[in-house]
Amino acid sequence: MAVSALNASHEAVHARYESVDPLYREVRDIRLLGFVLFLISDVVLFSMFIFAYLYLRNSVPNWPPITTAGQLPRFDVAFACINSCVLFGSGATMHAAMESWKHLNKPAFNLWMLATIVLGIGFLSGQAYEYQHVPVTWTGSTMGASFFTLTGMHGFHVFIGVIYLITLYIQANRGVYTGSKYFGLTAGTLYWHFVDVIWVALFYLFYLM
Amino acid sequence: MAVAAAHLGQVDQHDHIHPEPTSFIGKYIFSLDAKVIGIQYMITGLLFFIISGLLAEVVRIQLLRPEGGFVSNDTYNGVYSLHASGMIWMTIIPLMTGGFGNFVMPLMIGARDVAFPWLNLISFWIFPPAGVILFSSFLVGAPDAGWTEYPPVSVQGPPGTSLWCVAIFLIGISSTMTGLNFMVTIMKMRAPGMTFTRMPLFVWAQLATALLNMVATVALSAALAALFIERTFGVPFYDPGRGGSPILWQHMFWFYSHPAVYIMILPAFGFISEIFPTFARKPIFGYKMIAFSSIAIALLGFMVWAHHMFTSGMAPWLQLPFMILTMVISVPTGIKIFSWLATLWGGKIEFHPAMLFALGFVVVFTFGGITGIFLSAVPVDLHLHGTYFIPAHIHYVLFGGSIFGLFAAIYYWWPKITGRLMDERLGVWHFWSTFVSFNATFLPMHFLGIMGMPRRVAQYRPEFQFWNDVCSIASFVLAASTLIFLYAMFSSLTRGKKAPPNPWNARTLEWQISSPPPYYNFKTIPAVLKNPYDFGEPLPYLGLDPSDKEDHRQAKPPGGAPPEPAHA
Repeated sequence: MAVSALNASHEAVHARYESVDPLYREVRDIRLLGFVLFLISDVVLFSMFIFAYLYLRNSVPNWPPITTAGQLPRFDVAFACINSCVLFGSGATMHAAMESWKHLNKPAFNLWMLATIVLGIGFLSGQAYEYQHVPVTWTGSTMGASFFTLTGMHGFHVFIGVIYLITLYIQANRGVYTGSKYFGLTAGTLYWHFVDVIWVALFYLFYLM
Repeated sequence: MAVAAAHLGQVDQHDHIHPEPTSFIGKYIFSLDAKVIGIQYMITGLLFFIISGLLAEVVRIQLLRPEGGFVSNDTYNGVYSLHASGMIWMTIIPLMTGGFGNFVMPLMIGARDVAFPWLNLISFWIFPPAGVILFSSFLVGAPDAGWTEYPPVSVQGPPGTSLWCVAIFLIGISSTMTGLNFMVTIMKMRAPGMTFTRMPLFVWAQLATALLNMVATVALSAALAALFIERTFGVPFYDPGRGGSPILWQHMFWFYSHPAVYIMILPAFGFISEIFPTFARKPIFGYKMIAFSSIAIALLGFMVWAHHMFTSGMAPWLQLPFMILTMVISVPTGIKIFSWLATLWGGKIEFHPAMLFALGFVVVFTFGGITGIFLSAVPVDLHLHGTYFIPAHIHYVLFGGSIFGLFAAIYYWWPKITGRLMDERLGVWHFWSTFVSFNATFLPMHFLGIMGMPRRVAQYRPEFQFWNDVCSIASFVLAASTLIFLYAMFSSLTRGKKAPPNPWNARTLEWQISSPPPYYNFKTIPAVLKNPYDFGEPLPYLGLDPSDKEDHRQAKPPGGAPPEPAHA
């Protein structure tokens, strides 16, 4: 059984996805559109704060503003790189989890799902460590304000995402989803990839730019 | 047509996505039904309309005399700030989208409810607390920087400014959720055969509004969140003393608030597009142009926000593009107005109160639109910015536009919502007294602005007194004429005649079922063959269940079961 499931082709996955009963398909499409629109409005939220950051950055002659200790703030780019890789890795494991589910491979799904959750928690721990060592404070300068507000918002999204993934893991193991009816998992995957993509922008803006 | 007909009969009333509630709370308080939620929005919105209107009267009493003295200067600042905030966020936007959008839009597209009823329930129940928080800011010191709350004044403002942030943030979240919900509903839940170019124009208007609500309102939420954390935790965003920029607020605020004026006017355009063909008994002129111009307005609306900031010290090279784009946006609006006029041309016009308000809308909104063109020109704006010309313009488009549109919509859909007819004579009196006193109130404000009277002042120079007194006295008449409206609603509810399903012989779907509509809206979802404006032809719907037209109010046993025929 497991072997045949592993070998199930993409065509079979696709056929299963499409041949689900029409009522479920309608509800699934409605929810998918709703969820994508929610993500778009979330993108606008991040874009506004990114706009604020770029605006503040360009409205002063010298950037970054000097810290209260009289030094230029320097971020630990190497550490941020490693932490980013943890988050991007979790995107890959999430994709693997979703593919395993579609190919009816439940044990692999469980494994990849747990890996994603662990990596997500790892990223949050890394961020908590970084928050204690960055040379800026939230209220100290416009740079700190933008940095902590944006990465904090993102971290909050990751935190919600981890809870979301744990819920999905429990639900999947209780038989809420089947091989053809798994909209909740699709939404969770979309959300997790969205969080990843936002981080790409933030990583560039704060560490590379 | 065959395809559309094949869908018929697949769904019956038991497929309603949520069962009819039986308890009082489930029916009237925490209802999932879009119709009930729409009515809840309307009642709450009308309540806030009265409160905000009374605040406006306080402003006008204060300005009767040059030295003011009716309220203290601080209170006065709070009064005009909350008048505008209350009217914009607690009255017009919830009534336009939450109220009429919820009640009418699902009926018009032949759906049984919106896409996410629970989300709808939540977005309504955020609204009354937000209003209470907003007006309770008087208790701790009301926000005093106007509805735009420009920093740095708002950063240093009284504690009520934080409450203002919370209230507007909440109503923003509510608008975003409604926008998302409506967008999915309109995209995915139309009756079979109702293609995009067969949708009623009100639905087109709601689609464009939903897009704006979903995207632009989040920008406001971000700006408010930043202001709130700056005030509460001292995080520098807007305070120039700490490296922040007050202009940043203006950019973020107007990136929302300019689209917001289209959130407040596009649904009104939709009302007019429904009312004109019905009462002129003619097909709408230029259906597609009206529909697409709504979308064009929504998209262009995102590109003109900086015309509010010509005097703010933003980069001068930005002035020209924003000036031109602002003038461009009057093109789709003009397309609509000329299409409406062409709809009236040669029609057999019935002067029902709804039609009167719709005609009044076109007159005063066009006037307000033209003063908008004045203001979009940088040289004129430099002279008029911050004067009474601005309140004059905004009241012509928001009162003469949005509120006239809402009055028209209330007169038009009242029988459908309540199942009772309104006294048309009272409606005609309401219209004429409102129309005359509206113009007497707001037209002189243009003169005051050109004479140089600044806005938001509690005292003014004596030479402005004559026109201020004209405005104030006319505004009292305006308030009194609203009493006629309240009385007309009250008398219709208590002793109005029962309304037939389709009192105006309108052709959109909501009029093809009983007034008020049954809980499940349509027993069988009809198929749609054409757009609904071809007066003189048979109705373009297949498969409507005739029993949906029956008055289901009498002899209804508890539990929502249909009445049983009497057996021998």
